[in-house]
Amino acid sequence: MSFLAPAALGLLALSVPLVVLYMLRSRRQRLEVPSVLMWQGEEQFVSAALPWQRLKITGALLLQLLAIVGFAVLLGRPFFREQTLLGPHTVMVIDSSGSMATAGRLDAALDQARKLAGDASDAQLVSVVEAGAQPRVLAAFAREPDAVLTAIDTIRAGGTSANLEGAVRLARGLATPDRPTTLLILSDGGIPGAVSEPVADARHVLYDAGGDNVAITGFGTGVPGEGATRLFLEVANFSVGPETVRVSLLVDGLEVGSVDFDLEAGQRRQDVVSVDAGPGQAVTAVLASFEDANTLDNTASLVLSAGTDLTVTVTGAGSPFLDALVDSVPGLRPAAGAPPDVLIVDGGDARIVDRPAWIIAPETPPTGVTLMGRLEEPIITYQRPGEPILDGLDLSSIAIAEADIVDAPGWLPLVRAGDVPLVLLGEVDGHRAMYFTFDLVRSNLPVQVTFPILGARVLEWLGGNRVAATSTAPAGTPIGLTPPAAGISVVTAPNDTVSTLQAEATTFVATELPGIYSIEYRDSEGVTVGTAVAARQFVAAESTGSARQISTTEPDVAEADEGSLLREWAPQILAALLAIILLEWWVAFGRPLPSLRRDNAEVVT
Amino acid sequence: MLLDPQLRARLERLALANRTRLRGVWGGRHRSTRLGESLDFADYREYNPGDDYRRIDYNLWARLGVVLIRLFEAEDEMPLQIVVDTSRSMDFGDKFPTAQRLAAMVTYLALISGERVRLATVPGPGSTGLIGPWARHIGSWPKLETWLENLEPSGGTDLVAASRIVASTVSRGPIVLISDLMQDGWQQAVDLFGTARGGLVLHVLSPAELDPDLTGDLTLRDIETRTEVPVSMSGDAIDRYRDRMRGFVLDAARRCRRVGLEYVQATADEAALDRALRAMVASGVVR
Repeated sequence: MSFLAPAALGLLALSVPLVVLYMLRSRRQRLEVPSVLMWQGEEQFVSAALPWQRLKITGALLLQLLAIVGFAVLLGRPFFREQTLLGPHTVMVIDSSGSMATAGRLDAALDQARKLAGDASDAQLVSVVEAGAQPRVLAAFAREPDAVLTAIDTIRAGGTSANLEGAVRLARGLATPDRPTTLLILSDGGIPGAVSEPVADARHVLYDAGGDNVAITGFGTGVPGEGATRLFLEVANFSVGPETVRVSLLVDGLEVGSVDFDLEAGQRRQDVVSVDAGPGQAVTAVLASFEDANTLDNTASLVLSAGTDLTVTVTGAGSPFLDALVDSVPGLRPAAGAPPDVLIVDGGDARIVDRPAWIIAPETPPTGVTLMGRLEEPIITYQRPGEPILDGLDLSSIAIAEADIVDAPGWLPLVRAGDVPLVLLGEVDGHRAMYFTFDLVRSNLPVQVTFPILGARVLEWLGGNRVAATSTAPAGTPIGLTPPAAGISVVTAPNDTVSTLQAEATTFVATELPGIYSIEYRDSEGVTVGTAVAARQFVAAESTGSARQISTTEPDVAEADEGSLLREWAPQILAALLAIILLEWWVAFGRPLPSLRRDNAEVVT
Repeated sequence: MLLDPQLRARLERLALANRTRLRGVWGGRHRSTRLGESLDFADYREYNPGDDYRRIDYNLWARLGVVLIRLFEAEDEMPLQIVVDTSRSMDFGDKFPTAQRLAAMVTYLALISGERVRLATVPGPGSTGLIGPWARHIGSWPKLETWLENLEPSGGTDLVAASRIVASTVSRGPIVLISDLMQDGWQQAVDLFGTARGGLVLHVLSPAELDPDLTGDLTLRDIETRTEVPVSMSGDAIDRYRDRMRGFVLDAARRCRRVGLEYVQATADEAALDRALRAMVASGVVR
């Protein structure tokens, strides 16, 4: 315990005159009473020769000494130093990704943030950054705890991956030049590589509460056409034990079927289900009557929409799998000698590509790509998170005999084996291109249940989304709006929150919550002129519930000292003093309720 | 004026009562220890020559063949002696005025009940005290009230001597003692009063005596004896004093009842008379 005003402890010297007063013989006052008979036995005869008497340690003296000590200590302002995460300026980066919905991690993080906001003194500034798919500043340089608490209360767990890198960058932008800024990351750590580590001058508070979780990790479809629509469904068990779940399928809210899954711990299972649904209808898969640590990933939705026909030509070696893919996906058809919309280059020469192309292990790579060698039996170690083409698809179990090692600057690797890219996305002569560095027939990808989905999405993207199999995207992806001139867009979110956007707003960005978004377009007179629906899905990578410590470098020692909180003992000492004074009064007079005592002694007959 | 008109009007609806037989000089309305001329039959005895033949019970003579005469109760007056403690110890707070008013109240009650009453003070060491005249009629009230008003507390008292003087008087009626009993030997005095005549003790104490509000180091001086006692007031000392005072009051009450005296403790304040009157009614002294 230390003192802010140690000089006040000099008041302890008052105890000396107090003791002296007790040692001085008091001059007795004479008082006449009717009789001294009743006072017999209370006599205290003292010698009159000396003005001093022997000090008698009485309860009253001890209490008065205690009171003096209490007052002196109180005026000395004792305090203790409590370590706190707060600095002169603290930027709290709060992770609101889907994984933070696991076992109350976000609730714990928000509670911690609220406590810190309450602890902040007037001299401390607090900023809040929400690390969702789109990082945003909720409070900047706030001195008032209420402002910070209001900002914190707006944070909800979404179904997205956290853009921690962007959030940290945004937080760094809030750094104040005149005072040290502490970055405080309240997160479960996110996906490895989500932020450049170590994060300098930051602290990471880890939330790693876990629990059993089963998730719908994949839910997609081909292009709906005539007859039943085929749905791809993947369910994963992240629990420590086996689970049996039933997935119910709902079309526009009405249940049309269900699928049962028996899952071992850590197992993923896929299935393809046919449902009678067509363009414009919303299909939802939901884990029926199942509660687990993360309920956001128990539901997945998509919206079926019609596409236009796309012509495809396969050049090079080709394979029955590609032919079957083109034949099986509604909306695709062979070009039959006419110039195709999309070219599939399977082996062969890929130098001359004059249209969007799916390039598969070419003998001669396109311009800008250099073959560096070959890699035997590559193992997939990285799958780009949040990528719509790969959303809900798990390629980690694909076996590949060999793959080309390419140097492709300017291309975006979607799938890697270590540092070797296996699937890349880029452009050739201004045309979209997808590059597979391995031969399909020398892998088991074509026999995977995910292949038709992946192939359909690749061709859909290459065709400029003209096929548009679904109006579905990962949570956090903005929804495009087409309101009428001078009209408004009314968006109803899955949690029934209604947002009204003016005509100039062409996107709706608050799509962190997975589920169905209903859009209604109204003209200037409020008449509904059109409707649309869109689905946003929980990002499957967030369902694992994994947590990890982000590597950080702590602020230097001087700043750390400033990150301590001084708590004074004044309230406790005041309470003790009050108790001592009451006790002193009781000891001195012994009559806490004098009037009652007097009444009791009133009449005896 | 010791008694206000309202209190006197209230007293006029009451009367002194006596639960034991007594022996008076003059006839009255209280049962006597002797036989006499009242209408209440008491007993028979054999006829002796010289007896009034009008008291012969002829029916019994015819039935039994024995000549018996009827005996009747006698009814005597209740000669009441009221003794007021005028010692210096009564000169504290409202004790003495309260004692004066209590004496006046009992005197007035006796007069309106047709009793013979005499006022007296407790003598001090070496003195005989004041003894007032006997009075029997309500017309004597102004004189007795003046006598009471002229009393002043002074000097010491000797309760034992007072009890002996009062007991030696011819009239054998009850005694009312109004005192704080604050002196050594009060127990002996109470015993003498009780065995001699019976009666009532009105124990007057002030609120400050019952619950003293004293602090600090004090030298307490006895008003009456001038004895000094140095006392350091503390919660414990006050508590012990209260315990002793409570024991004193309870002891006085027990001792009075043991010797046939009624006991009423009267706290010297404005409501003292009212409370004392209620206590006297409750104990049967007044009805």
